[in-house]
Amino acid sequence: MKLRRVIGWEFTRTIRSAQFLTMTILIPAILTIAAFVVSLALHGQPLVEADTSEPIPLVVALVFAIILFLASFLSGVMTLYSVVREKRSRVVEILLSSISASTLMAGKVIGLGIAGLLQVTVWVAAGYAVASRFVPVSLGLLTPVEWATFPLYFILGFLLTSALYAALGAAMKDVQSGGAAGLLGMIPVIPMWLSSAIINFPSSLWVTIAGFFPPFTPAVMMLRIAAVPLISEGKLAVPLWQIALSLVTLSLGVYLVMRFAARVFEIGLLMYGKSASLREFWRFGLRRGKRRQRGERSA
Amino acid sequence: MSETVLEVESVSKQFASVKAVDAVSFAANGGEILGLLGPNGAGKTTTIRMIMGIIPPDAGTIRFSFDGTSTGVDKERIGYLPEERGLYDDARVLDVLVYLGSLKGMSREKARRDARAWLERFDLADRETERIERLSKGMGQKVQFIAAILHRPDLLVLDEPFAGLDPVHQDLFEDIIRDLRNEGLTILLSSHQMNRVEALCDRIFLIDRGQRVLYGELEALKEAHGEHAVRLRFSGDPGFLRQDERIRDLTLDGDRATFTLRRGVDPDRYVRGLPESIAIREIAIEWPGLHELFVAAVTGEAG
Repeated sequence: MKLRRVIGWEFTRTIRSAQFLTMTILIPAILTIAAFVVSLALHGQPLVEADTSEPIPLVVALVFAIILFLASFLSGVMTLYSVVREKRSRVVEILLSSISASTLMAGKVIGLGIAGLLQVTVWVAAGYAVASRFVPVSLGLLTPVEWATFPLYFILGFLLTSALYAALGAAMKDVQSGGAAGLLGMIPVIPMWLSSAIINFPSSLWVTIAGFFPPFTPAVMMLRIAAVPLISEGKLAVPLWQIALSLVTLSLGVYLVMRFAARVFEIGLLMYGKSASLREFWRFGLRRGKRRQRGERSA
Repeated sequence: MSETVLEVESVSKQFASVKAVDAVSFAANGGEILGLLGPNGAGKTTTIRMIMGIIPPDAGTIRFSFDGTSTGVDKERIGYLPEERGLYDDARVLDVLVYLGSLKGMSREKARRDARAWLERFDLADRETERIERLSKGMGQKVQFIAAILHRPDLLVLDEPFAGLDPVHQDLFEDIIRDLRNEGLTILLSSHQMNRVEALCDRIFLIDRGQRVLYGELEALKEAHGEHAVRLRFSGDPGFLRQDERIRDLTLDGDRATFTLRRGVDPDRYVRGLPESIAIREIAIEWPGLHELFVAAVTGEAG
């Protein structure tokens, strides 16, 4: 019940912010209008004639995978900024005198996540509307496997990134300072740096293994699922057991990271004036459980 | 009235190598204002954060008892004004109050109604749609104070409520704190404003370097630990003051003398025993204030 209020507050605050409105409404609207003007100037002729031999369906899946990954990454960053700002304005102390740190973290992650989801929906809808004026694309071109797995990878990946970033935000003094955040915050982004390698060699041993490593799973697996048929010209697909195993390890990873993050969050939030080092960050996350039990027993 | 609402028992907290709070015990009784005093870094805020359930104690217990039933920390029945001030800068006054009230279990309608009434009382009625960042420091502090009391807590914890306020607003806060006490709230008040503490508190707990220094009724503590300060203006030979064993901290400046009567010296008898040879122009004997008591206790001169 209080969680719902935190979610509602975080969500409303985010979607009312000028930054969010610009990114979600103004920019997509301008781009869409511009694209339609151009398309009208071309007398509604598609740039590419519909041709079944073109690998457009496969490219659609790839683009979709990248958009979903970016969306979960961006809402993670939004969470980080929101936590740091709240920490700097000292409002956390009042919040923690009313609700637990884990409720606060969950409310933030979910509230900002819904806002992020809204943003992606607008982007995808605008992008789709624009793209379909020029090239024959359709979301119907996604395969059933893609329809079934992408939302799962997206939601789980989003939870993992956001929880990690919430903890990083809590352990930071301000957004400029590095500390643990600089290093750990980069982990979920690594697959994107290597995305061209993943797309070109989606079945190589290292890429396959990386797909089972939770922080990399969403990006790597979505890229693989999209790229394997593309490379093999539709003859091959990622084996189902690999998809299933990756979802299991990812779920486990989400659970562990969220627990770890909640502990770091609880300690980091009240640590003013300095950013936690990597070692402290680690210690907060691992040590806190014992202490809390003791605190509860005596309370 | 006198039942214990908050009981802190042998509570300790260690930060790295520093023992921030060391086996501290005290209790707040229903309907009283207990002053929590101590120099900067003495462990006040850490103690308060443990009471609020924000950080767990390493050892010891903190118990609450509302309506005669003992509970663990019940955050809905406690109000808290932290020392570190801050609210959502870009949010509007009424929105923030309603949100914080709802986190304490109030319905939105009730939170809105009560917040409006309090804003009225704090002369902020026309600011309810203002963004927090556009308020002056004093106004922000009023809003934060309202956030602490909006849900009608049974126990109110105020950490430095007067800091940064002008005297007019300090008076306003003092009046409201007293009113809340008269309505039956139990209040834990931490402050460096000794005159305010003296005017408000029934009992005090003085902590230094994580440990208890003084604890009890204010008047009794003054009686037991205080010393009378004397200011004297006279003509005649000041030599009688120099040999007197009953006084200390003597300062002579022309015809003025200021000094302190040692503990146990009765001021009435001291005055009657002043030599006939001097002519007194002015004399003032002051009952020790909380300020002197605090300074003496913290600098280690209290017995």
